[in-house]
Amino acid sequence: MNQVFDADVIVVGSGALGSNAAFELAKHGKSVIILEAGEHIPRWKIVENFRNSSNKSNYNSPYPNEPWARNSYDEQYIENTGSFEFRPGMLKLVGGTTWHWAAACWRYLPNDMKLKTLYGVGRDWPMEYSELEPYYARAEVALGVCGSDTQDQSGHDGEAFPPRSTPYPMPPEGDTYLFQRLRARLAPAGYVFLHEPNGRATTPYDGRPACSGNNNCMPVCPIGAMYSGDVHAKHAQQAGAKLLTDATAYKLEKGEGGKIVAVHYRSSKGDDVRLTAKYFVVAANGLETPKLLLISDVANSSDQVGRNLMDHTGQGLQFLADEPVWPGRGAVQQGGIFNRRDGEFRKERASVKHAFANNVPNMAVAQRLIEQGVFGKELDERIRHDAARWVDVSTVYETLPLATNTIRPSTTRTDALGIPMMVVNYEVDDYVKAAKPGVDADYADFVKIMGGTVVEDNTGWQNRDHLMGTVIMGSDAKDSVVNHECRTFDHPNLFLATTGVIPASGTINPTLTGVALSIRLADIIAREV
Amino acid sequence: MNVQISRLRGLAALCGLFASLSVWAVEDNAALVKQGEYVARAADCAACHRTVEKGGAALSGGYAIDSPMGRIISSNITPSKAYGIGDYTEQQLADAVRKGVNAKGQNLYPAMPYTSYQGMSDADIHALYAYLQQGVKAVDIPVEPTQLAFPFNIRPLMFGWNLLFLDTQGFVPEAGADAQQVRGQYLVDNLAHCGACHTPRNALMAEDNSRYLSGAELGGWIAPNITSDKATGVGSWSADELVGFLKNGHVTNKAQAAGGMAEAVEHSLRFLTDDDLHAMASYLKTVPAIATGNHVASHPREVTPIDMTTLETGQGDQASLVDASETDGARLYNSACASCHGRDGQGTVDAFYPSLSQNSALTGQHVNNLVMAIIEGIDRKGADLEVNMPALGDDLNDQQIAAIANYSLQRFGNPLLSVDEQTVAKWRRGGDAPLLVTAMPYVMWGGGLLLLVLIVWALVVRSKRRRVRAIEAKKIALNRRFHSR
Repeated sequence: MNQVFDADVIVVGSGALGSNAAFELAKHGKSVIILEAGEHIPRWKIVENFRNSSNKSNYNSPYPNEPWARNSYDEQYIENTGSFEFRPGMLKLVGGTTWHWAAACWRYLPNDMKLKTLYGVGRDWPMEYSELEPYYARAEVALGVCGSDTQDQSGHDGEAFPPRSTPYPMPPEGDTYLFQRLRARLAPAGYVFLHEPNGRATTPYDGRPACSGNNNCMPVCPIGAMYSGDVHAKHAQQAGAKLLTDATAYKLEKGEGGKIVAVHYRSSKGDDVRLTAKYFVVAANGLETPKLLLISDVANSSDQVGRNLMDHTGQGLQFLADEPVWPGRGAVQQGGIFNRRDGEFRKERASVKHAFANNVPNMAVAQRLIEQGVFGKELDERIRHDAARWVDVSTVYETLPLATNTIRPSTTRTDALGIPMMVVNYEVDDYVKAAKPGVDADYADFVKIMGGTVVEDNTGWQNRDHLMGTVIMGSDAKDSVVNHECRTFDHPNLFLATTGVIPASGTINPTLTGVALSIRLADIIAREV
Repeated sequence: MNVQISRLRGLAALCGLFASLSVWAVEDNAALVKQGEYVARAADCAACHRTVEKGGAALSGGYAIDSPMGRIISSNITPSKAYGIGDYTEQQLADAVRKGVNAKGQNLYPAMPYTSYQGMSDADIHALYAYLQQGVKAVDIPVEPTQLAFPFNIRPLMFGWNLLFLDTQGFVPEAGADAQQVRGQYLVDNLAHCGACHTPRNALMAEDNSRYLSGAELGGWIAPNITSDKATGVGSWSADELVGFLKNGHVTNKAQAAGGMAEAVEHSLRFLTDDDLHAMASYLKTVPAIATGNHVASHPREVTPIDMTTLETGQGDQASLVDASETDGARLYNSACASCHGRDGQGTVDAFYPSLSQNSALTGQHVNNLVMAIIEGIDRKGADLEVNMPALGDDLNDQQIAAIANYSLQRFGNPLLSVDEQTVAKWRRGGDAPLLVTAMPYVMWGGGLLLLVLIVWALVVRSKRRRVRAIEAKKIALNRRFHSR
């Protein structure tokens, strides 16, 4: 008997990962439904919201925070029980959180994926870099990545690395003056500077104009030069996928043979709908995905769903250089220092990346001066002076998957749809802490070489919004949630398209890897469905 | 011995001669193929004979041309024997290009601009043939067939149409034109087929040569008047400006190529030699002025930026952040357009983002191209730059687009122009359908009569035209707009 399904595949989440998976499936001629908790909002409207915001440093403020589709800065959204206040800047709307990211599009190094084998810590990926490489290439084409084909991204100043089968789709942008000045003075001391491959068009690409340096990547690129997930939400629809907004998935329904048979969603208008499909892809980010699995009681025979939460927990440094370095021209970040990306030291301590933020610093500068009691004409002069010399270092650490770093559905708080909100328990471990002295030494060196005056060199641990590990990938069903295909061990027709599958965090922003895995899982599903 | 040596020498010399002859032949042929590639560029074959997906195999066809009669699928013109023109003789190619008849003897639809190509020189056809057979990779992929609705699916109808509208006398240079202008005329009329867009079409969709190059509406866009009329044509443009526009697709503080013209620049014009572009400009300057409409002179205007405090009034509640129903032109312009074109509409100093107050899309006679650029965006590679203006048609409804256009016209452009929501909707759909299509349901009642009438009319008009042409030939210098008949 042929069963009638609502779709071949239902994708939960319309962010960069879900939309890319949906687009690939639709291109293969599969019928696809995408469920999105939030709404579609055109770019101009988000720009208007940003301009009207009274809190411009809150990158979530131009985006809606509805009682049924809360963004992550909502106090109610995450309750923290650990010592670290885990609060990433996640969004709910068509296109997801890539509406405000800095578009870093790094690849992992082959060594990043063999952490346990090489360094005896953390976990290995259940696949080699070479297996992922072709999908990295496709992900770079999808996102329109610009990058350098000649740099050694391992930070060892060698030949071009990691291996690439194709060149970057676009050449890198020109070096900002800030980047030039920092490199000119810091590189002679042995610091290895790398351009950051990024999802900003440097020539017109896929309907996007070239970046013109609005310096507003976060919270919204006003011209759409920077990639955001809505690009593929639209491509997916043009290829035939059906997108349902205001549709929050709250239950995956199990059927016979370990298969998932339906997803249930609710809308703010009170609809409660059950949709069936042959395959399901949950692409609801690294927090919402494990939450949905846990409240549905699926995919958790390993007891690892919602555990191993990793961020690239970081710290920062701000100082005033002894010369104008003019931050704020071009994109909000362009690269950084990578000496501590890979090496034997990873047996004892985390790898580290220093990125230089290139945001227009006037707001932070003015706020600091006003707090110091500087007013009137002097304030104007000092803003000009300090804003030209502002150096902002944003450091990230590799973290290890700890079963005790968890995201759980709340047992006490629900949203307007009656769906549980979240509880996070996150601690920074000794592996990270062991790397901090090295970072502090680097900081002192940066300040010294740049003739700097420290503004802040003791920020404490900071969020970096890179959600990994929560539905961890591995080769053993006993200790992992998904296999190398991103297929759940427990349910052969349930795949997870989220950076939450990443088992070893490295130090690089995980979105490109997530998109590569999403394209790969779509290929796999397309062969089976 | 001596004899032998001299024989050997002779043989060696002969071999050398043959060798060099064959080298010549190879070089000659390579040059011919290269020349043919240039002809294909100038004739912009790739504009239509492209693949559905961007970046597909060159000239392998499949692209659907949305004609008012329906979707006409461009053919595969690679040298594939199964699906392309690999079996064509040079004469068959010449007939397809100049007469609109394929190797099977079927009439092509005039989406193929054979009425323009009819004047293509034998030398250019020869080179084009060499290129299409030898310089293009055979692609053994069929294209889907063109299937127009009745009666347009009756290809023999084109026989009558051709009798009426296909000139067969080849290229006739204007009397008194210098060599540069003659070359320009050949390029404008035959290879580049400018009239295909810029000359209005009559009720039967043929170019109306009494209004030669005076501008036409096409799929919502306006292909502007490019006669030498100073006010409504390009008479006030310098030759260098015309060349710059053809080559780069933009002239600072004047105009930017968009829509079909952007494609012409990207696929064809930017590859032409400066000599050829100057020839085209030189000829265009001689095209008799035809004034179209009442042009309102538009002077550079003093534009003051709007006071943003009137627009930035703070966020409302959460629901308001999602509500994209705004219809205020000032707010919409400043949210959707000002990031590039500026609050004062002046673009950037280097004109990478063009000024809106010195810009033919806002200061001319038509609002079409302003509206269409907002809907479809601009994506253009010129000789100097590659530019993209994002398409906002999905992010803005017709009412919002009208509001932005009207705000921009009032504040930066020609304040006497305006557009309403219904017109935006119509252009978004591709503009008015031509009479030939809208009248068809009524004409259909005549059934076969139509065919008969068409053919009789064609024969009558043709004989009349022959007589007229004899007279016209004498006054051709006076009335050069009939040159291409």
